[in-house]
Amino acid sequence: MSVLLCSLRAHFIKHLPCTSFFSTRNVHHLTPRFTHPSTHSSSSSQLFKPANFRKLASITATFSTSSSSSTDTPATNSPNSPYLSVRIRCQFAKRSKGTDIVKLREGLSHVMFLIVFGQDMLSEALMCFGASSTSIDEEDRSSENDEANPLMYSRNPIHICISSIFSIDQNVHRSISHAVDSIGLTEAPTYDVIMGYQSDWIKETQESFHPVEVTERIWIVPEWRTPPDLQATNIILNPGLAFGTGDHPTTKLCLLLLHNLVKGGEFFLDYGTGSGILAIAALKFGAALSVGLDVDPQAITASRQNAALNNIGPEKLQLLLVPSKNGPPVIDKKAMNDVERQNSSGMGIISETEKYDVVIANILLNPLLDLADHIVSYAKPGAVVGLSGIISEQLPHIMERYSQLLEGMTVSEMEDWACISGIKKKKRGSHL
Amino acid sequence: MSTLKEILTRRPVAATIRLTLPAGQAKMGQTIGQMLGQYKLNQMAFVKDFNARTQKYKPDTPMGVLVTAFKDSTYEFTVRSPSVTWYLKKAAGIESGSGRPGHVVASTITMKHVYEIAKVKQSDPYCQYMSLEAISRSVVGTAASMGIRVQKELD
Repeated sequence: MSVLLCSLRAHFIKHLPCTSFFSTRNVHHLTPRFTHPSTHSSSSSQLFKPANFRKLASITATFSTSSSSSTDTPATNSPNSPYLSVRIRCQFAKRSKGTDIVKLREGLSHVMFLIVFGQDMLSEALMCFGASSTSIDEEDRSSENDEANPLMYSRNPIHICISSIFSIDQNVHRSISHAVDSIGLTEAPTYDVIMGYQSDWIKETQESFHPVEVTERIWIVPEWRTPPDLQATNIILNPGLAFGTGDHPTTKLCLLLLHNLVKGGEFFLDYGTGSGILAIAALKFGAALSVGLDVDPQAITASRQNAALNNIGPEKLQLLLVPSKNGPPVIDKKAMNDVERQNSSGMGIISETEKYDVVIANILLNPLLDLADHIVSYAKPGAVVGLSGIISEQLPHIMERYSQLLEGMTVSEMEDWACISGIKKKKRGSHL
Repeated sequence: MSTLKEILTRRPVAATIRLTLPAGQAKMGQTIGQMLGQYKLNQMAFVKDFNARTQKYKPDTPMGVLVTAFKDSTYEFTVRSPSVTWYLKKAAGIESGSGRPGHVVASTITMKHVYEIAKVKQSDPYCQYMSLEAISRSVVGTAASMGIRVQKELD
């Protein structure tokens, strides 16, 4: 059987060179290319069916990748778990959204496929058949554009590249052929399958993080860059996978609020702390104690790291992992180990309600509505509560929900995001 | 038709990205990271933006998102309602379509379901110009391709 495969490969090798040339461009990952193990079996079984162009083209597509196969069994979200990234190269003579004229020019020893097609339809079809996501690159067109005579297909091919992501255990070949069939393309475009690892993109996100000046003399600087102004208050951050680089309008709004509120010696609670940026900022502005709560364990780890980066000890910044269902916060095992070092009076402070002078919650609309009572219960009567993470059109809901609990509400807005601050009503004897 | 101002300020498009994300629950993960990181977009901002805008949907419904990434690392995105197939599966109470559509019927739904689905779809930016009847017909067609039969009433 392998002899048959080899001869078939040789027969089609003539039109492979042009596609394999393209396939070596723009490869982000340096990992070797793998074919999925099941594609081998499906392609070999196709040899024995009556031959038609589509199936033969699909087989040649699989041969364009290297033949080693992988046997990884991943956990999908752990770092270094692999996934499949597929780049499909299509040649379009004229970029259009709906026409599908297929033009076929047959030579004696090889077949050339020129397709006039809507690439949007292909990417939608790929999504239906199992791709987690697709992306259409606009590659550089050749200088003679499609303004020229549209009949001259062969002279001005436009190369559109569709990249899509599949999970490791999907049959890429079958998904692509289903997608191509469903649209009506009679020939499958050639594609490469590349295995990528999670850690690749993590590094790329970090590159886009620059020092940000929130307001006068307050900078947020990533760990791997030097602060532009050493005299100013610099908050050094490594957000990792948590939210809060200082870029986002909601973070800026909350930082401005904090700056105006914290005069020195307050107790501050950050609900939904993310990277810990607000808690650390409060300490830098002069608060006596900051506590950060989050439902995401990665946020807690990131906050702890950032506290260390800013030379803040665990007595000043305490962190708690909150279970995501509505309920009182529970101290989990990992936090317990770190918290053991603190004295018992420190531990008592975390879970007590009505102990904080400033409470800020920068999360999302639904959690804010659900946890309204819970969040406000942490604040002392007469303390300031700040809420953010809401877009301006969601403001009325929040105002309505919190007006029973807070008074003197003020709204600040930036770029369609809003931040509300209010003062907790003094108790009148009825339990809130 | 674009105004002159729009044409002058039009930014060169780097790529068009399609994603399916659970409403309100998008996290930094490999899909978003890999796809958006390639074009140097601010992923955290996108995740927060997407989550904020999908708060009004039931959590975890898979929403289609179309992201237009520009060459200067900015982006715009539109959130589309979940796919018709997803609605049909929920309405019919099945996990996946029939293996042999046309021959094997997976489940049945009524015209009322079709009408409701068509109403939701009409709010989608792509379908606004279509009459409700036209959308319903396409919903029935999708149902047929999944092996779901449409009846007047449930018997």
